[in-house]
Parts: sequence; C-alpha cells; structure tokens
Amino acid sequence: MTIQQDSMHACPACGLLCDDISADAIARQQFSCGKAAKFYARVTTGVSPQVAGQPASLAEAVRAAAAALKQAAAPLVAGSSTDVHGARALVRLAQHTGAAMTHINASSTLRNMKVLQHRGWQTTTLTEVRNRADVILMIGTDVVSHNTRFFERVVWVDEAMFTEPAARQIIYLGGDQLNTQPGVSPDGRAPEVIACASEHLPEVVAILRALVMDKPVTATTVAGVAVSTLKTLAATLKAAKYATLVWVSKDLHYDHAELTIENITETVVALNQKSRAMGLSMGGSDGDTSVNYAHTWLNGVIIDAPAWESHDAVVWVNSYSPQAMPPAGTQPVIVLGAPDSIFESAPAVFIPVATPGLDCNGQQFRVDGSVTLPLTAAKPTDLPTLTQVVALIEAQLQGDLA
Amino acid sequence: MITLLKNAKVIDPANHKDGVVQDIYIRDGRIIAKPADSEKIGQVHDLNGKIVMAGAIDMHSHIGGGKVNIARMLLPEYQAMRRLEEPEAHICGANCSHHATPNTTDTGMRYIEMGYTAAFEPAVLAVNARQAHMEMGDTPMIDKGGYAMLGNDDYFLRLLSQNADQKTINDYVAWTLHATQTIGIKVVNPGGISAFKFNERRQDLDQQHSHYHITPRRILQALSRAVNEIGIAKPLHVHCNNLGVAGNFQTTLDTMGASDGLPMHLTHIQFHSYGTEGDKKFSSAAANIAEAINSNKHITADVGQILFGQTVTASGDNMMQHLNAKVANPKKSVIMDIECDAGCGVVPFKYRDQNYVNALQWAIGLEVFLSVDDPWRVFLTTDHPNGAPFTSYPHLIRLLMDKTFRNDAFDKLNLDAQAMSNLKSLDREYSLYEIATMTRSAPAKLIGLQDRGHLGVGAAADITVYTEQADKEAMFAKPDLVFKDGELVVKEGKVVKVVWGATHTAKPTFDLGVEKDIKQYFDRYHTMQMNNFKISNDQIAEDGRNHVINHVQG
Repeated sequence: MTIQQDSMHACPACGLLCDDISADAIARQQFSCGKAAKFYARVTTGVSPQVAGQPASLAEAVRAAAAALKQAAAPLVAGSSTDVHGARALVRLAQHTGAAMTHINASSTLRNMKVLQHRGWQTTTLTEVRNRADVILMIGTDVVSHNTRFFERVVWVDEAMFTEPAARQIIYLGGDQLNTQPGVSPDGRAPEVIACASEHLPEVVAILRALVMDKPVTATTVAGVAVSTLKTLAATLKAAKYATLVWVSKDLHYDHAELTIENITETVVALNQKSRAMGLSMGGSDGDTSVNYAHTWLNGVIIDAPAWESHDAVVWVNSYSPQAMPPAGTQPVIVLGAPDSIFESAPAVFIPVATPGLDCNGQQFRVDGSVTLPLTAAKPTDLPTLTQVVALIEAQLQGDLA
Repeated sequence: MITLLKNAKVIDPANHKDGVVQDIYIRDGRIIAKPADSEKIGQVHDLNGKIVMAGAIDMHSHIGGGKVNIARMLLPEYQAMRRLEEPEAHICGANCSHHATPNTTDTGMRYIEMGYTAAFEPAVLAVNARQAHMEMGDTPMIDKGGYAMLGNDDYFLRLLSQNADQKTINDYVAWTLHATQTIGIKVVNPGGISAFKFNERRQDLDQQHSHYHITPRRILQALSRAVNEIGIAKPLHVHCNNLGVAGNFQTTLDTMGASDGLPMHLTHIQFHSYGTEGDKKFSSAAANIAEAINSNKHITADVGQILFGQTVTASGDNMMQHLNAKVANPKKSVIMDIECDAGCGVVPFKYRDQNYVNALQWAIGLEVFLSVDDPWRVFLTTDHPNGAPFTSYPHLIRLLMDKTFRNDAFDKLNLDAQAMSNLKSLDREYSLYEIATMTRSAPAKLIGLQDRGHLGVGAAADITVYTEQADKEAMFAKPDLVFKDGELVVKEGKVVKVVWGATHTAKPTFDLGVEKDIKQYFDRYHTMQMNNFKISNDQIAEDGRNHVINHVQG
C-alpha cells in the first residue's frame, strides 16, 4: 500500500491535536485558534547552546550538563513538555541518573489520576462525542480556554452518525469567567448556564450526583443554585441518549478537587445503570498525556508531583511552553528545551532542542487518551532532538565513568 | 560465525522429532544444515542431551495498548516506584499490578527468561494501534505482533447494514491490516461493543443489533470469509458474545457454526464454557465445548486458564466488563467507549480458590485442556493478564503434565466446586511433545510464521534449552539457555544480552480503491485524518531498534 504523504499537520499547541493544519495556513499564519497561531509563529533558529549564560558549542554544553548531573545527589527531570519520543528519552535519563521525574502539569494530571486509580471511571473520546452526544454538560469549564476549537471540531459539526449536531443541548454548570459564546448553536440557540463559582462546585456536583441517584435532597438551594434546577438537569441527563459530562482538571484548581471529579464520574456511573452517559476529560497541554502514559508503560507507575526542595539539580524541558521555568531555588538548572525560551536569569546550561511538530517529527497523545497522532515538522530545522541530546549527555556520563 | 549446539535432544513437533539427539548449526540468525568440515565453528555449546525446543510463542497476551496501560495504573495500593539505583528494592508481590501487568521492559525480560521468543497482542483497537506499537516497540527481547479488532467499528457495521458486497469487506479488512501493521483480525463480542453504546446490555448471536439490524452471526460470517479470502494464515480470532455469563456455552457452540465451516479461532474459551446446572446455577460445560472442538476441525481455541491471585483484567468487551465491574476486587473499574471504533473495560479481579465460581473456572479451563484431543488445535494461554499473568505458564504446564500435582491442587478448592467438576476423572498428562506442539509449532502455524516455532533448516534460530526435570514448573520457569535470532540472550535464567525483536505483519494485496470511501467516512464523521490513522513501516522502526517482518501468506 502506498502511504500517502499527508500535507496536513497535527497541531500540538493543546491536547486537541487538530490535524487539519495545512502548510498553506502556516505560511499565511491564518488560524481559527490563537494557540495555533502563537505556536506556528515561533522562531526557533539562530540560537546556540549556552553555559552560564555564555554561548557555547553543543559539545561544551553537553559536558557541562553531564558535569552538573554527576555532581547532583538527587536530580529532578521536570517540565517534561515534549512528545512520546522525548518522554522515552527523559525516562531513560532519569533511570541513568537516579532522577525523579515530573511534568509541568503534574498537579492537574494527578487530580484525574487520583480518581482513575482509586475509583476508576467511565469515559469516552472525541469521535464518540461528535457522533453520539445529544446533551453536553460542561462542569466548571468552557473548554475553549484550553481547547479553542472544541465546538468547531466536535460539537457544531456538519454531520453526525447518530444525532442531529445542531440540536445538541449544551449546559454549563458553574465555573469562573466562562466564555459561553461558543456554546451557542449554529441557529442561535443559547446554551443553558447554571452559574456558580468554581469553589462551590464540590457541593453543587455532590447534589447533582445525589439527585441522579434518586437520593432524597431536602435543601432547596445549594451554593445559590436552586435544587429544582439541578433536578431538571438530572432528569435531562437521564433522558439523554448519550449524555457527556465534560471537565478540565486544570479548571478545578481548589483543594481536593479530585473529589469533585469523582462526583462527576460517579454521576456518570449512576447514569449508566439505566441510560447511556460518559465522562470526557478535556484540556491537556505540553504533551502531558504522552509523558504520563509513556512513563507508565516504561516504569509501571504514573508520573509524580515534584518535591522541589529535595532536589539539587533540575533538567528542565519546556518545548511547548518557552516562557515556563522551574521555581527559583532549586539549582543548577539544565534547560533542554525551546530555542525561544525566556529566561529571567540564565540557567547553568541551555541546550536548544527541536520542538516536535515544529522543528521535527514526533508522536503525541490526544487529550482523550486513545488516539495518538504523528507530528510532522512544520518548519524543519537542524536543531538536535531531545532524544539526541539526552543520548549525548548519557554518553558523556558513561565516558566520565569509564 | 557458526554456532553449534551439540548433542541437543530435540523436541520439534513441526518436524516430527520427539527426543532425537542431534547437532544444530546456526549462522546469521538461522538454523543451517551441517556445514562443510572446512568451515570454522565459532562457538560450541555441548548440551549433553538437554531438551531443545524452538522459542515459545504466546499467541494471545495483552502486552500493549491503551487498556493494558490503564491496567498498569489501576492498583496503586500495591505499587511502589522502583528505585532504579536499587533495582531489587521493589520486588513485585503476588498482589502487585506490576506482577499482573508488568511494564514493557519487564514484559520482555520475563518472557525471554521463560524461553518465550514472541508474543502477540490480541486486541489492537485499530484507532489505538499506534500506542500498541509504541509499547510493543519498547518491549525488548521478543518478537511482537497484533490482531486488529473489527466488527464493532461503525464503518464496518455500516458496510454490512448497507449490504456491501464481500469484495468491499475484504478490501476494508486488508486495508485495516496494512493501516494498523497487524497480522490477524479479531472480533470481540461481535456487535456487542457497539450495541452497548446504544444502551443495550446483552448481545446474543442471533439477536439483531438495535441500530444496524444485523446479527453477530452475520458479522462473523462476513469477517471469517474476508480473512479466508484475502488469504492470511491467522483465522478470525473470535471473543464470543456473552463472555462470563452462566449458560454461555450454548452461544459458544452456536458460534462454531457461524463461519459456515471456514476456520475460526475461539479465544479464552474457558470464559465461554459455562452451564447453568446445580444449586448455584453455574456449572462446567467444558465437556460439551471440548467435544465440539474435537468434532469441528475448522475450530481452534486457546483456553484463557485462570489461576488464583490478584490480577487486572483488560478487555475490549466494555459491554460485559461493565457487568463484571460489580464483582471488581478492589472495587473499581475503567469503562470506555472509543472513537466509533471499539471500547474497553479494565476491571481488577482477585481469583480465590475458596470462591465457588473462581474454583470452578480453574477446573473448567483444565477440563478443556485435558479433553481436547488435538494439541495442534488448543493453545496454552491465560489470556494474560485476564486469567493470570503470563509468568504463571510454568505452573500451568505442570498442572497439565503432572496429574498428582493437579489433583492435590484440586483437593484444596471450594468443596461445592469440587463436587461440580469431573477433573479428577481425567487421567491425561501432557507430554513434552504435546507441550511443544501447543506452545511452539501450533501457534507458528496458526499465525503463519513459517520460519518460527520449529527447528528445521532455514528456521529463525529462536531456541530454548531446558534441563529435563521431574518438576516441570521448575523446568519451564528457568531454561538453561535461550537464543534469539541466533544470539545467546539468556543463560541460567538470566538475560545476558538485550535485543529488541521485530514486529510481524501480514499485508495481503487488495484494491486500494476502497480507500476513497474510507477517506470520505473519516472526513464526514471522524476527528482525525485518515492518513494519520495509518502507521508506516518507518514509524514502527522509529528508534531504529524495531523492524517490520511481513509474512507473505496464502
């Protein structure tokens, strides 16, 4: 079979991985998404490695990185904003150096993982939602702040196999400063908005779950929301052919938000006793799904939250977030990352590496977890890949040992 | 360089050798005929009559892909991060999910240490194939391959419900093999995974799908015919409807007739051999099933033996796993609908010998093993990790080869279960030749790996050397030597060299015109481009470790 060369690129700027980005759109910088525009506008050429803020050759920078790692008693691999190939390299580097490994989104990822690991859940993926969902409940999120084209690509589509897309019922439950405009249907039907501040979602979602489970609820309001409104919502969810309950763990940024997520997913479990419903966790960025998954199949355990204070060196990878840097205090910092990194103070070592999907090819997991897409170099450069740079550092470390 | 294995006691059913003492010569990863005396022998291993078999092949083992990785996550209460500077600090215990679902490195290491040189992931969701290959690509030591799941994907169900001709179906099936880089086709709960998305909770073989108005029987007919006509070796791999349900043996018997005599492989048949007799309305129908396998020569089966302990089950059958979630232990489960393509259900189980159902499941699996006459048509599996981890194969082999050992184990079971099993009346003890058949020759033949699973001239030098012992568990747990593609990789049960193996595929010719309609389907309904669904050879080879071995079949 001839494998046709795909002229479309998958955009890794968020977890949605829209794979309809044409070379032409990139050349003209025409996008319907600000995140994509920003990603493809990045300039990654003309940057050399640095040691202590001074330009250095790649070999010098590799030597300095290896020396810093050798001196460290407890290094940390962090940021980890990369793709599957980069994740594999970082896991290997962590194994060789005895480092712990974390990700820039560890705290939001772990909110979901706590629920998955201790309770399980029932979830779906984007193509199922696109073709089946008749009721979409957005809990504490507008999704579009993270995944700009969610409604364009998944909800208000031209065709679906098992439902009428334009007739979908969109409901927002809680959240702060949501952009609900994308929830307006193509024929101008406004979404239902049940307002409450994020911090009140724990009790509001708990009541919704109780109502779906037909438990007696004596209160008439909860956090300013009428229980009768939630009763109607519960009935809507039960009557749906395929209710989809959407959350973004980053938007549930209060203590023990995992309990809210558990109430969402257990509402789904309750609905599935008699009708059909599924959860959908959206958001995602910086290859968080890829790194957590690859870490799991390579090590048998998920990524961990960083304990910055217990480490004495940081390998920082920020390929999709050039502005991101580790908290000050843990030194030295070895950046293997975005050529267009922004430093307040120069790291000990800086080695610019190719960004998968921009400078080089790669593979990335979509936020819904089942789909992996190839990333193709939109603007190929000859920057070394993270895999190559890690291999050089490992060779240097081994050479030092020998 | 030529390697010589001197005085090997060869058990090689494909070549009808049962304990023939001979020399084996290896060059460039292959077994060669005795070279001329002038040729230099680089390495000699005098085996002094040790048992030599081809490397074993696991034809059904969940080793990679989304649901396996979820299974790896699911028992954190038993996990601790392995300290890599102290590799032995975390030793997997019986309850650890690392034991049931090891990471990719451990998967390869544990397999090769037991003399297995290949394993096939039997449930590759087509849309998730890229992940399955990434994980298999990170699995060292052994060869890999997969069976792509069809029969619940909306594209196929639309074709069938629109009465598409068989040629179109054949082209779609062949296209799927190419796109997903797999070597076989599997159907899981035909129509049932899809029906669950339409709020159905059971799907019987002759019950119409509530949306598509076609029956699972029709799905099995179309897919078994397609697999046969495109000419791949591996028969359609069938996970029947009604997995785990008391009384499901009738569905299984009926399914055997669904392919109109074309070859079909019924997988983890233990989970599909249940009757409804007795006070507890759960009984063994192993005798009926075994008798049907014996008389239906077009049917092969693997057992999916359960063994007692903690595991995490991972299945594409989200419809039945949603029901099984009620008996999860610990009480948690992950159920997914996936991409109008398939689904998955991941449910931890703790099989207990004092539990009536579990004890009987154990006995049913062994009854099937011992009652099917032809070891070429019954395969040794635990449906890893669903019945037990693959690391329990040596124990399972001893249960098959040692009647006293088996009966002693039986005597410890739940008493009600003992009363419902005829296991102790089965005197059969498998021979080494039969074990070699069911773990080497037969899987290679079934999958179409012409140069694996045997020790004839030209075969790949995947070779396992055992010391014959009375304790067959000890014998099969720790071979003396294992060669992978001619290289010595295991010595005294320890890996001495890391190799990476290859990915086996079957890519029959087909009419590429079928892609026009598939592309239109993707453009209309999917959330990815069709071209991104397809996996190239280069992507399999990605880090230069792996490569594709395509088998021209038919």
